[in-house]
Amino acid sequence: MSFFEALLNNPLLVSALIAGIASSFVSGIIGSYVVVKRIVFIGGSISHSVLGGIGLALWLERAKGVLWMSPLYGALFAAVLSALVIGWFHLYHRQREDSAIAALWSIGMAMGVLFIAQTPGFNVELTNFLIGNILWVSHTDLYILLALDIAVILIVLCMHKRFLAICFDEEHALLQGLSVNALYLLLLLLTAISIVLLIQVVGIILVMTMLTIPAAISNLYTVRLSSMMVIAIGLSMLFCVGGTAAAYHLDWPGGATIALLAGLAYVVSLLVRIPSRS
Amino acid sequence: MNPAIHLENVSFAYQDTPVLKKVTINIRPGDFVGIIGPNGGGKTTLLKLILGFLKPLSGKIEVFGMQPQFARQKLGYVPQIARFDRQFPISVYELVLSGRLSFLPWYGYYGKADKLAALEALEMMGLSRLKDKAFGTLSGGQAQRALIARALVSDPELLILDEPTASVDSQAEADIYAILKKLSGKKTILMVTHDLKAAINEVQQVICVQQEAISLSPHEVCEHFAFGLYHKPLL
Repeated sequence: MSFFEALLNNPLLVSALIAGIASSFVSGIIGSYVVVKRIVFIGGSISHSVLGGIGLALWLERAKGVLWMSPLYGALFAAVLSALVIGWFHLYHRQREDSAIAALWSIGMAMGVLFIAQTPGFNVELTNFLIGNILWVSHTDLYILLALDIAVILIVLCMHKRFLAICFDEEHALLQGLSVNALYLLLLLLTAISIVLLIQVVGIILVMTMLTIPAAISNLYTVRLSSMMVIAIGLSMLFCVGGTAAAYHLDWPGGATIALLAGLAYVVSLLVRIPSRS
Repeated sequence: MNPAIHLENVSFAYQDTPVLKKVTINIRPGDFVGIIGPNGGGKTTLLKLILGFLKPLSGKIEVFGMQPQFARQKLGYVPQIARFDRQFPISVYELVLSGRLSFLPWYGYYGKADKLAALEALEMMGLSRLKDKAFGTLSGGQAQRALIARALVSDPELLILDEPTASVDSQAEADIYAILKKLSGKKTILMVTHDLKAAINEVQQVICVQQEAISLSPHEVCEHFAFGLYHKPLL
């Protein structure tokens, strides 16, 4: 059975593709900000600390009987909390910002592992969160993801010029009367939400792929941040659909296949682009 | 006439290292002022105080009779080009347009007046042909003129430049001074420079900053050096 026939017969595969395409928008848009603002490491920290929230949610759901809880809520909670903590360090304790980011990274993962250890019958699923398995996304989750996706896009449509300004030249933005600190926090929050969206597709460990590689590739070929975003969205979709199809045929894990495809494309684009520049 | 910039007994220190001590400066509207002094002498700190990025430990700073952070709408600031990320995806036009950020409505799109002002500023700087190029691909002189265009596009009363000729060739340097000369009289211009020749030939008033600040007229700068009146090497 080919990939397209499988799509017609398998609703799970369809939701996997929808989630992949929806998250491609935030991957391209927020990923571009993350790359040009050089906050990739912050993205890594937020995405790994999300495991703490997922662990907490699973533990509450399965060991404590809080039935409405879902890993998605835990992930969102942890991502937003991490973004606020990192933002607070950036604004008030900038000298040790990178150490704090690393600490948050490992504290979040440690809490996740501990909560999961306390949760009965879970071991198999841990890999789903770490390397991604879009097939565990429920229908409710899918609606929440789509709503978040649209919210992120709408906010960016209104705020893009301001985000561009704080990414390029914070001092100038300040002189122009922008609330640079508030905008920075907003950008971190959007990054956090986008990371949660992307984790559904490729998992915690591989989320950095989707946040950085499409944007990094398109940065090689554009002169404007907005066109960088459009190209990155396209690339991201290509990697998601291509990776999912390849994974289906080869019976490989989806997240890892998508990440590998993106990684290969990055290497190739660097090889093509860099010599012509020097 | 009220001074454009007025500093009275301003002192500043980073932690325990004093940078400026009891600095008193008056700059008249429309003057073209050069700031010279050794590295680490406090030139950049002085600019940051006037821009309101730093607060003085003691003393008073007024820009057009206001506290610096409230006078920002009247300021145009031209930073050093070396500070920027050359790979950053921003076109020259976008860069200049960002000088109109304070006019941006909540929904985030520039109006006709903003775009027109940006195109005019580009024209004035001789950059119209390059408006769709990436900022990072410009030569030093072009990049510096683009930043001047960004500062001018909001029609500021005070233009502050941090070493505008530091990384440009001599032709670009001459171009930049020609532009500033055209603006002087209409706008108050404050320029940090390492270029002593410029300090003597181009400006009307020179401020030497080395913890303390002294105001000189350009021809006094020559005498200072000729007779070694200054206690430490100035540059």
